[in-house]
Amino acid sequence: MDTVDLSIAAMGKALRAGTATSEQLTNAALNRIATIDAGLNAFVLVTRDRALADARRADTELKASIDRGPFHGIPYALKDIYDTGGIRTTCHSKLRLDNVPAADSVVAAKFTDAGGVLLGKLATHEFAIGGPSFDLPFPPARNPWNVEHVTGGSSSGSATAIAARMVRMAMGSDTGGSIRGPAAWCGLAGIKPTYGRVSRRGVFPLSWTLDHCGPLSRSVEDSAITLGILAGYDPADPASADVPVANYLPDLNKGVSGLRIGIPRAFFEGSPVAVPDVLAGIDRTVDQLRAAGATVEDIALPDYALFAAAGRIIMMAEAYAIHAADMRSRLLDYGAITASRFVLGAAITAADYINALRARRELTDAVNEALSRYDTLLTASALCTAPRFDEPVDAMSSAAPMQTIPFNVTGHPAMSVPVGLASNGLPIGVQIVGRPFDEAMVFRVSRAVEVLSGWEKFALPI
Amino acid sequence: MPTPDSLADEFDMLMRRAGIVIPDERRAATLVSYADLCEQIALLNGRYAYTDEPANVFRLSPRGAR
Repeated sequence: MDTVDLSIAAMGKALRAGTATSEQLTNAALNRIATIDAGLNAFVLVTRDRALADARRADTELKASIDRGPFHGIPYALKDIYDTGGIRTTCHSKLRLDNVPAADSVVAAKFTDAGGVLLGKLATHEFAIGGPSFDLPFPPARNPWNVEHVTGGSSSGSATAIAARMVRMAMGSDTGGSIRGPAAWCGLAGIKPTYGRVSRRGVFPLSWTLDHCGPLSRSVEDSAITLGILAGYDPADPASADVPVANYLPDLNKGVSGLRIGIPRAFFEGSPVAVPDVLAGIDRTVDQLRAAGATVEDIALPDYALFAAAGRIIMMAEAYAIHAADMRSRLLDYGAITASRFVLGAAITAADYINALRARRELTDAVNEALSRYDTLLTASALCTAPRFDEPVDAMSSAAPMQTIPFNVTGHPAMSVPVGLASNGLPIGVQIVGRPFDEAMVFRVSRAVEVLSGWEKFALPI
Repeated sequence: MPTPDSLADEFDMLMRRAGIVIPDERRAATLVSYADLCEQIALLNGRYAYTDEPANVFRLSPRGAR
């Protein structure tokens, strides 16, 4: 097996057994990036010298029996909205092309402390919202399953890099679905943890009360290992939650026998944008979960449109508060899609925003009530497969095909996990939603779905 | 429901008030997004009584739970 296909756990085992070095793993990843990324555009910056220095340090430490844990010596990459000290962080925008942060984001610092190997910075939709676009300083990342199709956004480069086997795990951010959407459309696992679970300090905000940091990865286990080193209280992040962090691995393979799973079927069934292959994928997953011993029942939640409305109003109002001055003075320096989305914030009144916050309370209570009766919920991640670049969909409109924003509004942990390929050869995924801070259960059910669907046997496209 | 013309006038006024100049070639597409946003705003208008407070903290546990 090529080292680029080793799981994080397998890489760790090889490093400790002396059958591989971090420098070998890193060179394999750097070579693959050099060979194939020109046509995919996952990276906006490859930090080759930094990566090799990180790798050699890891090898030296491991040889000296200094073990920093499961991420020691493992290559990774960061969406280019995560500050990296001394390394340019652009948000994929002309407005921040010269931005070189003085210090690492908390997430970047945690990877360094854990002995990780930084391969570089990844493409994103501009400011984590505007794309896919061809009027930005860097080209949009392309979907390795078919380069004429988008990856979904905004963690576009993260998804491309993993699906093209350049790296096993890359960080994304998720304000309305920007981890789970690209994960679904590129055949990956991606978790948006509970709001407050991972520090956002040093990550450029899109919408403070909806922003979450989390990993995309080849497998559920990779994400569980990664979240294990990132989760935890940060007193300098105003939204950080001081809640103990569980070990996500012991229950990962316990299966779903005896668990209860609720399906908010009205979210996706009957939607004009839902394609039959996606609905069939959900039905197949439900059958597999039942056969594995879970109780799966349809449930009612408030109308999906209320979740979408609350999320969009909150996002646009908060984003506008961040960008208002630049909207007035530098509008044409933004990409056209970004600008057209941000200016709408100027049209939202205080009462509109407060009504959205009232909706947030109502909707969060409803999801919590459902999760008092079920261990997790299961719904679609996206209602269709990745569209072509020349047939774009408006990810912010009320008819957007993503089904992810409800859990940014409510803060619940949610993971997209692949379940197969549609008849057009593109991946489809389902979304598992858990109780606040119960990422362990989300991982457990997601891992069961991953196994039951047989996804691990699917070959990646490149 | 406002007419398309009145919605466009309202949008132009809001942009003027915010000091934002939308290029002519982008105005039509932005207006479509604005009309869609207005429909979403309308969904929440009138839905709540004065007793329905917004969250001043994120509620992440079931109502009544400790």
